[in-house]
Amino acid sequence: MADMTVFVARTVRTMEPSLPVAEAVAVRDGRIVEVGTLDTMRPWLESHSHEIDDTFKDHCIMPGFIDPHLHPSMAAILLPMHFTTAVGWDLPWEDIGPVHDDEQFLARMESLDAALAPGEPLFTFGHHPIWHGPIDRSALNQISTARPIVAWHRGYHSITVNDACLRWMDLDTAAAGRHPQVDLDAGKFFETGLSVALRHLRGYLLETERFRAGLDRMRQVIHNGGHTTIGDAALGFYGFEQEWDHLQAVMEQPDTPFRIQLMPFAMGPEGDERTDDEFVERVLSYPSRNTHRLRFSDHAKMFADGGFFAELLMLKPPGHLDGRHGEWMTPPERFEAVARALWNAQRRIHVHCSGDLGVELALSTLEKLQWERPRFDHRFTFEHFGISSAQQVDRMAAVGAVASVNAYYVYELAEAFAARAVGYERASQISRLGSLERAGVRFAVHSDFPMAPAKPLNNAWVAANRLTESGAVMGATERASLDAAIKAITTNAAYVLGLEDEIGSLRWGKRADFTVLEADPYAVSAESLRDIPIWGTVFEGHKFPISSD
Amino acid sequence: MGASAPKDLVPVTVIAGYLGAGKTTLINELLSHDHGRRLAVLVNDFGAVNIDAALIAGHDGQTISLKNGCVCCSIADELGDALDRVLALDPAADQIVIEASGVADPANVAAYGQGWPGCRLDAVVVLADAETVQARSRDQFVGELVVRQLRRADIVMATKCDLVTEAGLAAVMDWLTETAAGAPILTRRAGQLEPELLLETAQPTARPGRQRSHAGNGPGEPAFDSAVVEVDGTLDRDRVEAALQDWPDSVLRVKGILRFNGAAGGLHIVQRVGRRWSIEPAPNGFTPDHTGKLVVIGLPGTLYHRDLTASLNRQAQ
Ligand SMILES: [Zn+2]
Repeated sequence: MADMTVFVARTVRTMEPSLPVAEAVAVRDGRIVEVGTLDTMRPWLESHSHEIDDTFKDHCIMPGFIDPHLHPSMAAILLPMHFTTAVGWDLPWEDIGPVHDDEQFLARMESLDAALAPGEPLFTFGHHPIWHGPIDRSALNQISTARPIVAWHRGYHSITVNDACLRWMDLDTAAAGRHPQVDLDAGKFFETGLSVALRHLRGYLLETERFRAGLDRMRQVIHNGGHTTIGDAALGFYGFEQEWDHLQAVMEQPDTPFRIQLMPFAMGPEGDERTDDEFVERVLSYPSRNTHRLRFSDHAKMFADGGFFAELLMLKPPGHLDGRHGEWMTPPERFEAVARALWNAQRRIHVHCSGDLGVELALSTLEKLQWERPRFDHRFTFEHFGISSAQQVDRMAAVGAVASVNAYYVYELAEAFAARAVGYERASQISRLGSLERAGVRFAVHSDFPMAPAKPLNNAWVAANRLTESGAVMGATERASLDAAIKAITTNAAYVLGLEDEIGSLRWGKRADFTVLEADPYAVSAESLRDIPIWGTVFEGHKFPISSD
Repeated sequence: MGASAPKDLVPVTVIAGYLGAGKTTLINELLSHDHGRRLAVLVNDFGAVNIDAALIAGHDGQTISLKNGCVCCSIADELGDALDRVLALDPAADQIVIEASGVADPANVAAYGQGWPGCRLDAVVVLADAETVQARSRDQFVGELVVRQLRRADIVMATKCDLVTEAGLAAVMDWLTETAAGAPILTRRAGQLEPELLLETAQPTARPGRQRSHAGNGPGEPAFDSAVVEVDGTLDRDRVEAALQDWPDSVLRVKGILRFNGAAGGLHIVQRVGRRWSIEPAPNGFTPDHTGKLVVIGLPGTLYHRDLTASLNRQAQ
């Protein structure tokens, strides 16, 4: 066995400004020894045994892609379901084309029904009335009267079921019928009414075997996207210890080609100051349980306003088109108190904020904390960053904030938001990346999977083009440059996770994590970024091709 | 139809209002007060460490702490789970009190009372800190929410009223009346508590008659008045509905069992809390001690017994 492996490639894109392009990477024990050419590496090659691996001689080696914000536990619930969405999803086990109307929706239900074993419940995810019309109980009864069918809404907050499902849930229909957010005739459970149905479905969805099968699918999704590191942006949705056990069992395996940086929830109880310190202490204790691939660091996740897909964002005036209201996830006073405790404990704070009032809460809190106790390099991160103003971006720059942006909103939601949520001006400026770049605010892009596909090249593509599904450009001046879009899935994504000394670019000492592409993204046009085929990845020096079925 | 009948459903009272409005203090006092109701209390907050629960512990009933917050596709439902645990208590709770989170829309919590199997909604009581509520209503982050919470109330209770001047209190009461869209506004001072207003304690056993004033355990004027309105024989449902709709905002609570005539006749449970009223058929085999009586509770000096009776009874006209 040789000491070192030297990977040679047509191009090595290091994402290091001092040596942007190279031809070879020498690797030992999972770490990079040197980047350069076979010629410049001679001092190393002459003093250590090595083998040359030319698998990638016609490929481009990139630093392993990083998505700093997705949700494996949510994915574990959803991925065992059959996706039926207006915008197509390419999943490792099925490339699902777009399902645009009610006819296509029901046709897909029919074919799914025909393919399933008798009695197995049919869960589909992605129903949206804008495209698929108001699919109701009787429509689902026509698919099957024997098999329980659950059609989950794309916005997550409602389901529609058939008669067989009502029987399966063993629901007290008289009781459920009294609920203001249950429409039994339509078979629809929405908002708080969804809880009435989940009371019966949750056990099935969280059952260990199903959950772990979902997580295993998540493993494939992450690998196929070309990631070598991801951030789990809030462990503990369904139960912290239970999720931790499942993650360990499924993800901490020798054939898992990526690591997960975990962010614990940071929410203190309302009304009591003392517990903030207890919370900080708890957060500080997590890294002691780290394994090789699963790691806590010094991050904590906070929540300002509600979700973007769920349309629970908090907006400054003039608010929502129809006068509806968003939701605070944390009372603003508590938000500030918990943020202060974390700030003073030198934690890195990540704030979920969707609307410009959510951004404002995070920003004004950060400004206050900077005044009270200035910190450099604090990495206070604005997560999602759906609707914001250019002036907020300037203030973010002034107080040293960074951003982790869901660029995909533009592709799937900008036109719908223009038409029926916030009007065109704000919708066209969703996920403003151009302003961040001009102001010098470092940003990553993320998928928030399962909200958006876990495909870093696709996210970079949306960031650089701002094209919607229909092909329109929304907010051209808010595009990121090609360079910034690629940094957003490599160096700057590592920066957001605080792992820039270990991953994100290729240089001596860093992890030998590569994403191997069929073409150099700097040599193609921005419009074709998402079409670059991915050969696979190298994780800590080991090759993991993406199997093509 | 399912087996559960209205009698079996446990009434749920939601105590809502923004942070600092005094929800926890009120609930602690409800727990320690001798009102004869076995309470189960659900405290809704944001953390695993629940200091409110520690304050409440040691009283009767059951305390369960809840997290709040809805992220996309979270299928966790701690409020539903907690209700199931409380509904399984033996002996059963007479009433469930839910402390809503300070940023909750009371309507979302009330929906559990309305529709969670085994529950029915009694009242949404929204507390407002008399000292700060108006300033809060102009806050850029929570102003809209504070107003929305008040608009969702069946009953609004202005708290910490002894901390403001008389003129200040008058101004706040005006503002609350304007803001709360018809909900009756109660005032609360330190140590003052009327469980009859917050809980469904009224039983139609009282002697019929004119209004009686009930002193609060605070100083000064009476806290509320009650009256028992008696009706003869069977009634037109339409007429009762019209009365429940038309009775003034100062009527805080109505409860009783009436017999209607006509096709959809029979015994019915009639209730009103604030401006929200309901008429539900009494369960099969239900044999009440008293029918034809409504217990009415209202703000002091506002219950005109004759008018109330007249609006129900054809023959009294
Ligand atoms: Zn997220």
